[in-house]
Amino acid sequence: MAYNKPIPTPTPLTQPFWDGTREGKLMLPRCTNCNRVHWYPRHLCPFCHSDKIEWIEGSGEGRLHTFAVQHRAFGGWAEEAPFVTAYIDLNEGDRMLTVLRGVDPTKPESIKIGCKVKVEFEEANDELSIPFFRVVEEGA
Amino acid sequence: MGISKAAAIVGAAESIEIGYPEDPKTAIQLHMESIKAVSDQTGIPISDIDGVFSAGMSSEIAEHLGIHPRYIDTTQVGGCSFEMHVHHALAAIHAGIIDIALVTHGQNGWSQRRLKGGGGFRPGGNSPGMQMTSAYGLSGAPSNYSHAMTAHNHRFGTTPEDFAHIAVVTREWATLNPRAVMHSKETHEFGGPITIEDVQNARMISWPLTLLHCCLVTDHGGSVIVARPEIARSLKTNPVWIAGAGECMSHQNMLEMGDFTATSAHKSSQIAYEMAGMGPADMELALLYDSFTITAGITAEMVGLAPRGEGYKLWKDGHAAPGGRLPINTNGGGLSFNHSGMYGMQLLIEAYRQLSGTAEDGINGIAGKQTNARTCIVNGTGGSLSTTGTLILTSD
Repeated sequence: MAYNKPIPTPTPLTQPFWDGTREGKLMLPRCTNCNRVHWYPRHLCPFCHSDKIEWIEGSGEGRLHTFAVQHRAFGGWAEEAPFVTAYIDLNEGDRMLTVLRGVDPTKPESIKIGCKVKVEFEEANDELSIPFFRVVEEGA
Repeated sequence: MGISKAAAIVGAAESIEIGYPEDPKTAIQLHMESIKAVSDQTGIPISDIDGVFSAGMSSEIAEHLGIHPRYIDTTQVGGCSFEMHVHHALAAIHAGIIDIALVTHGQNGWSQRRLKGGGGFRPGGNSPGMQMTSAYGLSGAPSNYSHAMTAHNHRFGTTPEDFAHIAVVTREWATLNPRAVMHSKETHEFGGPITIEDVQNARMISWPLTLLHCCLVTDHGGSVIVARPEIARSLKTNPVWIAGAGECMSHQNMLEMGDFTATSAHKSSQIAYEMAGMGPADMELALLYDSFTITAGITAEMVGLAPRGEGYKLWKDGHAAPGGRLPINTNGGGLSFNHSGMYGMQLLIEAYRQLSGTAEDGINGIAGKQTNARTCIVNGTGGSLSTTGTLILTSD
């Protein structure tokens, strides 16, 4: 079945990230001046304001920072509600939003903040895939 | 000193490319190139900027830069906006609110034809932050704020039931306000008093937020007039003095909310208290933006009315309720009085009503004056727990 949820439109700044998703890579922007990874992609590093930013391949691993269960949604997501949205602290630093997989949205008490997660990709169209994260090990 | 020559333009620079760039540029890129250039030119570090002025995009620009300005002006009235920004910046600097103002422009009249979005006519458009969040099924404020409730519960050992007390007490205030949507069964099918069980058993919107943890969605119009003291003294109405004012932002996109249990109201209220020469203990009334129970609970902590992690106790222990030591949201709040999407004006009107001594005269049709407060803190919250504005108001 064709992917029926919102698909972002890349801009020159974000193109390397979306290109990476097609190959199953989680590409991350890293400042060559202060060496810190930031998310979302920037023209200037939000920590030191250098404009020398490179792309690195991230591990795709992180931990659950916080989450919520969406019971009300629109478009393609409405069919999937309830589903769990989550903020992920990446191993490389900074934070991503995602929809969390491998959890039971009807039992939010069973979802543990701090648990380990890993990225996986779902093909959205010929141009890009959408990264999602799956719980791989309960923690914290 | 007068306002004349109270500030100067100290540098001016453009983006690396202007005109018809070979590779299409987004508005945010044009902004960033010129900001980097003017910072290099003047030697003023970007991190020293404490006021951001742009046509419609100030919040996105500040977040992109990773700075937390305490003056945000995003006046968008067309081509002359930037001359106005300079005027506003002069006033802000003259007033001693900020030292360094960034006035910035970025617009891709040419490149936008080749890019889908990213044009810069309105904030958010196809910004990198939006691209990285729009795919995940979030829909509106409740779907964002719920993440903050989860984080607060995890960090402080609080529960959604604790925050339900905010909804119950705020409803109690609404039963005293005939104009409140949820005043009674006469005003709304589900109006009148509610219980903790009612709040927790209501339809789930975005766990852990049920419907009754969320504000109303209504219509509202409101206005206030601000005037200089001589005029204020000459009118038939009683003045309510702006003793302190402060603002700040921590992020635009919730991705950048470092601590999900804290807002920039910590900073905006500090600024306002300092200006007023007062502190949290001096406040006799609080009007705290309650788009959700979590918003009011966290804000009470941020503005110093309660210790960290314990904001909800003001309501749970009855202090915020009618007859309590610190009345909060005496109009019935965004939760039960009225919330049109942007609730800041409702806060101002209630603050004036309570402090001016005119409430008993039936201002806004409300007969009863709920407090004898002579001091009030008003705190508005915008975006996704993003921006805050605090006022310290006093009566004669």
